Amino acid sequence: MMHSSRLTRRSVIKGGLGLALATTALTTLGLPISARAAGKKVIIGAFADGGLTPFKQKIIPLAKEQGFDIEFLEDEYGVTLEKWFADAQSGAGQYDLYLLDDPWVPQFGAANVLEDLGAGGIDGSDKDWIGSMIDMGYWPPQKGPRVKGFESAKPTLICVPFVGDLQTLTYRNDVFTDGAPKTWDDVIAKGKEGVAAGKIKYPVVFRGVSGNPIVTSWYPVFLSFGGSFFDDKWNPIFNSAEGKASADFFVGTMKQNAPNGVVEFDSDQEGAAILGGDAGAIIQYSGNALKADDPAQTKVAGKLDFGVVPKQQSAIGQMGIFIAGVPKSAPNKANSIEFLKWYVSAETQAKLSEAGSIPVKRSAFGIAKPGNRLIPVALQQLDAGSLPRPRTPDWAKVEELLGIELNKALQAGSGGGAALDTAAKQVKDYLTTAGYY
Amino acid sequence: MRAAAQARKYRLQGAGLDLALPYLMLAPGLMIVLGVLVYPLWDGLRASTRAYRYGSPVADVGFQNYVHLWSDGQFLNSLWVTVKFVALSVSFEAVLGFALALFCLREFQGIRLLRTVLIIPMVVTPVVVAIVFRLIYASDAGMLTALSEAMGGGEAQILGNPLNAFIGLVVLDVWEWTPLMFLILLAGLQSLPHEPFEAARVDGAGAWRVFADLTFPMMRPVLAVAIVLRTIDAFGTFDQVFVLTRGGPGEATRLVSIYGYDTAFKFQQTGYAAALFVTIGLVVLALAFSAIRLLRRVDAS
Repeated sequence: MMHSSRLTRRSVIKGGLGLALATTALTTLGLPISARAAGKKVIIGAFADGGLTPFKQKIIPLAKEQGFDIEFLEDEYGVTLEKWFADAQSGAGQYDLYLLDDPWVPQFGAANVLEDLGAGGIDGSDKDWIGSMIDMGYWPPQKGPRVKGFESAKPTLICVPFVGDLQTLTYRNDVFTDGAPKTWDDVIAKGKEGVAAGKIKYPVVFRGVSGNPIVTSWYPVFLSFGGSFFDDKWNPIFNSAEGKASADFFVGTMKQNAPNGVVEFDSDQEGAAILGGDAGAIIQYSGNALKADDPAQTKVAGKLDFGVVPKQQSAIGQMGIFIAGVPKSAPNKANSIEFLKWYVSAETQAKLSEAGSIPVKRSAFGIAKPGNRLIPVALQQLDAGSLPRPRTPDWAKVEELLGIELNKALQAGSGGGAALDTAAKQVKDYLTTAGYY
Repeated sequence: MRAAAQARKYRLQGAGLDLALPYLMLAPGLMIVLGVLVYPLWDGLRASTRAYRYGSPVADVGFQNYVHLWSDGQFLNSLWVTVKFVALSVSFEAVLGFALALFCLREFQGIRLLRTVLIIPMVVTPVVVAIVFRLIYASDAGMLTALSEAMGGGEAQILGNPLNAFIGLVVLDVWEWTPLMFLILLAGLQSLPHEPFEAARVDGAGAWRVFADLTFPMMRPVLAVAIVLRTIDAFGTFDQVFVLTRGGPGEATRLVSIYGYDTAFKFQQTGYAAALFVTIGLVVLALAFSAIRLLRRVDAS
């Protein structure tokens, strides 16, 4: 008896249905189909930022030599949070690794969508980590106040620091001829001399746009004046006397010594002011600071130096690292954890430092030839103080409320203290509604 | 007897099939409508009565989200900004669009090219329009600043000043969407009957008389449709503000669409954002129904 091998419509439909059912069943059961099938493939999701350039240019080729098949998917910063959060919550499994901005860790942590990397074999207690960086990978946090619902939960390492990124000072060495200005008063006084001498147009430049940009620029001023955001019960205390003094200084003195349009300035505009030779000093993140040495991007190459943020009481900047988390829905989970272990090893971190990125392991700061002049300054800043934003999933809303009021005061050129009072009330009301107290 | 009963049964079965057939044929389309329209709407409504908190189970909160909206200063502000923005933009677009349509009704050399050029802004992607206007408005290196400095003035402060930023946004919208108004009104003008106008001319009526007594009354239904369409559309304006100001400075240009987006995606308050958008949807629906009633009244008169 002969069997017909002719492809009939019925057989195609039956085959297709069978395949669909089998795939659905395997996916539903959570079997790691791709992890077995795709070898050492790792799909990394990142937001576009200059701070990742050395990683892309130097470390990805090294990873490929190690047998990793890296797919690097970039998106604009503004859309990554919602895109990845939706990916993680729906279990869509489009990525193996998210390179998060560190204030997003509480959101992903509280939603319980990231893998426990400690259980995957990554040692969070290794003394070689920069302590303040690895602390950001735990949810709930190991230190400091915890939000409701997580008071007694065991801290879990859900993210590992990926590329160090923090605020430092960039200044004009032909204006500040005695080295980096030590205090905010120095920034203004010496900057004015630079303006009078015709070397610069403005002593300082910063970001004034509502929300995250203005809060990010005010943050180091606030901390250096001795301010704190919350007490250990999540009561807003940023409108303390120190906080108000910093806000008045920021919207008053600093605005008067910054470009006229500073209220609408974001990274691009503040970058143009310092790189174009108009401004004397700026507090900025590493990705932007590194442009200072690139003659293709600055008119004043050779005239820009780095230092720790100026102080009033202390010299503390904002820490904002790239931090990696593995979604529970990652299709190549085992590969991504293996990749992370390789990536955070002292050897690879030394290569990262050579490539010009801020490493996350202390040993990599001490290598003979770091890739740029910022790396030793970054270590000085880390030792002087570099703090993350408060560890709450509601930081984005807090920052928005605060940022709007600060921006209004900046428009007026005064009333920073009053703006903080208004924002503190709004934040308290919001957190009350959100069940914090 | 038995054969007759059998025949009757077959006849009934046939009739049943005949009755059911249209529904069977409609079923796939109906399923698609249910899937893509009704289910998302239902899901959105359901989400609006829930509270989503990180790490906590989803909680049913009834109409609490809706009630809370009316004591939320940020929502009320964004609603007020939206109403001002829609009223101003649509008014300017209607007046300008009508004026342009009247002008382009005349036949002269180059009129076809002019009509084509006039609709170009409408076909440019809103995000691109916003980027172009950002390059015009930017205080440090914008075209307005360059122009002002060339004329001996200082920097043009548009995006850093609440009033100027709001006006700037209205200007952008008017630039982009007046062509839509123009297009609808031009089509309306071209479809008007010629006889009344010829009669008026024979009677020696002036241009203003013709406009006030003939053109405008006859164009009222078309104008109303154009205004309703544009109003509904303007309520959903998002891209331009997202790129141009992100709602700032302060909250001067924060339309409800931006506040809703931030609430849903930045602050992760999905249920509350759903309640916000349902509320806005109802406001727009109410506006549309009122406009339709108004249209009927106009038609009747």
